[in-house]
Amino acid sequence: MNNIKILYVFYLFLILGISGCSHDTEPEMPNLVDRFGPFTGLSALTASQPTVDFAAGETVFFNATFNKNVDWILEITGAVSGSVKRIEGFSSELNASNATWDGGTTEFPLFRAEETVNVVLTVPEEGEFMETTTVETLSSKQYEGLLLTDFEQELGSNEVVGNFEFEFNPMTTGRQTDIPAQGNFYYNLAGMDDVVPNFFVGLMDLKAELAGGGGTLDFPTTVPEELYFNYFIYSDRVPHGLAIIEFFIDGNGTGTYERDQDTQTFRIAEDIDLNTFEGWQLMSYPMSDTGISQEQLENVVALRLLLISNMNTQPSPPLEVAYGLDYMIFTEGSALQL
Amino acid sequence: MKNLFTKISLLLGMILLTGLSLWSQDGGSQATIADEEKAQIRFNGLGRTIINRTEIGGEILASDSSTVGQVTDGEFLLDLKVNATPNKSSEVQAILRLRNEFGGFFGAGQSIEVRELWARGIIADFVKYRVGDMDLAMSPYTLFSPDEEGFVNKPGVFQPLKQVIDYEQFYTDENTRRLQGGKIDFGLNFGSVLEDMEVSSFIARIRGTDFTTIPNRLITGGQLDLSTVTFDDSLGIKADVGFNLIHTFDDLQSGNAVTGIRNTVYTVDYDLTVLDKDNMSLNLAGESGRSEVKRAERITDNEGTEENVTIEGTEEDDTFMDVGLTFKLKKQKLTISASYIDIGPDFFSMGAQSKRIEFENNEFRNNKTYYDRIGTNRLERQVSLFDLSRDRELYTFRTADRLMAYDPRYSNTLPYGDATPNRKGLKFGVHYGEEMDKINAWVDGAFLTEIRGQGTTELKDFTLIKAAADFNIHQFLDWKNMIKATFGVQYESTTRGGGEFEVVDLNSTLIDLGLEVEIFSKFDLLLGAKLFNSEGRDYVPILTGFNDVQDFPAPLVFDDEETMLGLGIKYEFKKDIYMTLQYNHFESVLGTDNPDNYDFQQFFVLYNMEF
Repeated sequence: MNNIKILYVFYLFLILGISGCSHDTEPEMPNLVDRFGPFTGLSALTASQPTVDFAAGETVFFNATFNKNVDWILEITGAVSGSVKRIEGFSSELNASNATWDGGTTEFPLFRAEETVNVVLTVPEEGEFMETTTVETLSSKQYEGLLLTDFEQELGSNEVVGNFEFEFNPMTTGRQTDIPAQGNFYYNLAGMDDVVPNFFVGLMDLKAELAGGGGTLDFPTTVPEELYFNYFIYSDRVPHGLAIIEFFIDGNGTGTYERDQDTQTFRIAEDIDLNTFEGWQLMSYPMSDTGISQEQLENVVALRLLLISNMNTQPSPPLEVAYGLDYMIFTEGSALQL
Repeated sequence: MKNLFTKISLLLGMILLTGLSLWSQDGGSQATIADEEKAQIRFNGLGRTIINRTEIGGEILASDSSTVGQVTDGEFLLDLKVNATPNKSSEVQAILRLRNEFGGFFGAGQSIEVRELWARGIIADFVKYRVGDMDLAMSPYTLFSPDEEGFVNKPGVFQPLKQVIDYEQFYTDENTRRLQGGKIDFGLNFGSVLEDMEVSSFIARIRGTDFTTIPNRLITGGQLDLSTVTFDDSLGIKADVGFNLIHTFDDLQSGNAVTGIRNTVYTVDYDLTVLDKDNMSLNLAGESGRSEVKRAERITDNEGTEENVTIEGTEEDDTFMDVGLTFKLKKQKLTISASYIDIGPDFFSMGAQSKRIEFENNEFRNNKTYYDRIGTNRLERQVSLFDLSRDRELYTFRTADRLMAYDPRYSNTLPYGDATPNRKGLKFGVHYGEEMDKINAWVDGAFLTEIRGQGTTELKDFTLIKAAADFNIHQFLDWKNMIKATFGVQYESTTRGGGEFEVVDLNSTLIDLGLEVEIFSKFDLLLGAKLFNSEGRDYVPILTGFNDVQDFPAPLVFDDEETMLGLGIKYEFKKDIYMTLQYNHFESVLGTDNPDNYDFQQFFVLYNMEF
C-alpha cells in the first residue's frame, strides 16, 4: 500500500502544482454601458476656485460627472486675449487628475492677467450637451527659463539696425500691438527687396543686455543639447519670405556685442519658410542644432533677425514679405511647454 | 514550474533505466504493415457521385428578381489509394484524386491532385516513424478537433451528406487534426510499479510562408503516457498519467516577416482507477495545465544586418483544470460521470480551440458556396442548419491563431469544445447501453459560468443539456429487418444580469428526430427532422490578437426557427457501397412575417463506394 500512498501524493502534487486556478478577472473592455447606454450628465461643471493666480503657482481644476465614460472636451477661452486652452479626455468624471488647468495655452495668444475666461464642456457624441462656467485670472502663467525679450519694453540701444536697411517697411517694422502672441507687443519685420534685388530685405540685432544681465547671455545651462531656444513666430502665409535667426558670440573678447567686430555666427541649417504656416507658431530647437559648443554658448552676445525675400520665386515687381516675433526664451532640459 | 518539470523529467529518466522490456506501438495509421518481407502493392479507394438540385423560395424572393430560383451542382470523384509495403518495416501510401465537377467538360472543372501522401515504418523493431500526412490528436486541451455544432444525434437521413464533409475535411471520430509533417513513437514495458510507457512526438507545418509578411507556422509536441501495474488485485487500483506538451510557433527565418506567435501548452492528464471490480468501476480522471502565448520579433541591428535572435513581447498565460469522477455499473451498462472545470480566460491553445466550422473567414464573411447573398439588398445570408448539413466549404481543419467566430444560437456554452476559455463549473453525463442494444441513450450537461466579464463585471451563466437515444425497435419486435429510431435534443440557455445594456438572455433548442426502416434487405427508408429555435439576445465580441476584445458590436437579437425535414431511400449494395436518393425541405423563419424568411427544397442522389 505504500506504493499507492506515494501515487496519491504524486497526483496531488501534480494537480496542485500545475494548476493555480488564479486568473485575471478584470472585465474586458470596452464597457457595454459606455458602448450602448444612454448619456446623462450627473453634476454640473464647476471650477475648484473662482480666481486663479498662475504666477504664484496656482492651478484650477474642473469637476463634472456623467453616468458613463465618454469622450469629452473642455475648452477654456480668454474673454480679452482670445486665447484657447483645450483639455480632452475619456472618463465618466472630470476632476483634478484629468481636468486641471495651469494657465497654459493650446491656441495663441497666451492668456493674460486679470481676464475672465469662459469654460465650456462638451461631449461630441452628445451634440446637445453643454456645461459652462467662468474663472478670473489674476496673473498669467510664468515660464521657467531665460527670457531674452517679450518686446513689452522699448528695445532702446539693445536694438541694432544697420544703415542699409532701407528695404524695411518703416510703417510696419518694429514693435507692434495688433496681434501680440503674449502681452501687448510683438516685433514685426516687413519689407520688399525692390531696391537692390539681392534676396536681402533687412536685419536687426538684439543685444544680450535685453535679458537684463551683462553683455553675454546667462543661460540656465551651457550644455548645447540641454538648452532650448524657443520663440513665437507669426506668418500670414505670404509666399517668398524666409526668416533666419543667428547667434553671435563674443569674437573680440570685450564681453559685449560690437557690430562688425563680433562676426562669428551660429544658426540652424534650415531657413524658416514663411509660406508653410499661418498665424503664431511656437518654434523650439536645442542649441546643439546650431553647431555651437558649450564654450561658445558662454559667450553669446547677440541674436540677429534676418528677413529674406526669395527672388527666385518672387514675381515682378516683388511682393512684400514679413514675419513677427514674440517671447524669445531659453529653457533647460526641454522645449517650452505651453 | 520549470523546476517541477525538471524533477519530473529526472524521475521519468530513472524509471526508464529500470525498464525490463521494450515494445513498439502503432503510429496511428490506418493501413497495416505487411507481416512478411514480400513486397505488396494494394489498390483501394473511394468513388463518389453526387448530383444536387437546390431550389429557393419564400418571402424574401417576393421583391427579389436577381436571385436564381434553383441551382444544380455535383461532382464525380475518384480517390485512388495506392498502398505499398516494399518490406516488412516500411510502408508508403498515396491517394490520387480525380475530380470532375457536374457540368464540367473538356477540361473545365476537372482536377487531379494528391489528396494524401505518407510513409511510415519501424526502425530497429523499436521506434515507429511516419512522415507526410497524418491525423493526430492528443488531449482535449492540447491537440484536438472539437465536434462541430448543429448536431446532437444525427438522423440517418442526414448522415450521407455529413459523411462527405467529414471525409473531405479529414474529420474522425477520434477528433484528430490533419497535419503534414513527421512523427515518431515507441513504447516500453516494465515489471514493477510501472507496467508500460508510451512516448510520441511530432512536428508539422500548418501554414506555409508567402515569402513576404507571412512566415511558416509549425506545430510540435509530444506525449509521455505511463501506466502502472494493478496495485491491489481485489480493488483493481491502478493509474495512468500522461504528460503533454505542444508548441506552435512562426519561423521568422522564412520570408520577410518580423513578428510571429509563440503558443505553448503543457498539461498533465491522469486516470486513477480507484475501484475496478466485475460489476462496477470508479475512476478519478482529469487534466490540468498551463498555456503561454508570446509575440516574437525578429530584430536587426543598425546596419540592417539580421540578428538570429528573437525577443519576446506581449505575453499572456493562464491555467486550466478539469477533474472528475466516472462511475460505471458494468452489467447495467450504465456510466455516470461528473467533473469540475476551470478554464482560464486567457487560456490559449491553438491546437485545441480551433473550430471545425468557419463562421467567418479573414474577410469577416463565411464561405457559403450557394445563395450566399439573397434579397433585394443582397445581404449575406446567415449560416443555417441546412448549410451546416451540406456545405463543405464552411468547414475547415486549419489551426487558427485566435478564437474563431461562432454562432451563439448553435453553441454558446462550449463553442470551442472542452478547451473553451473563460468557463468554470460543473459538467456531468449519464450514458446507458451500447450501439446495438435495444436502447442506447445518453445525457450530457454543463452548468457553467464565466470567470471574467466581457464589457461588464456581470458574468454570463450557461446551461447546456444534450440528450440522445437510439431505439433499435426491431429488437423489441424481434424482426429481422432493422427499424431504428433516433432522438436527440440540445437545450442551451445563456443569461446575464445587470443593467439594461448588460442583460443577456438567449435560449436555443435543437431537436433531431430520425427513423430508419429496412423495407427489404439492405433497402432502407429514411426519415428525419431537425427542429431548431433560438430566441433572445447576446453580445459576441470582435477579437483582436491574443484574443483580446476589440469591440462589442450591437447585441445579436434572435427570434429564429429552422425546420429541416428529410425523406429518402438508401440501398446498400454491400458494406460501404451504397446509393441514396433524398428530398430535403428546409425553412428559415427569422421572426413572424419577416420579409427575409426563405425556404429550400433539395433533391440529391449520392452514390458512394469504398473499395
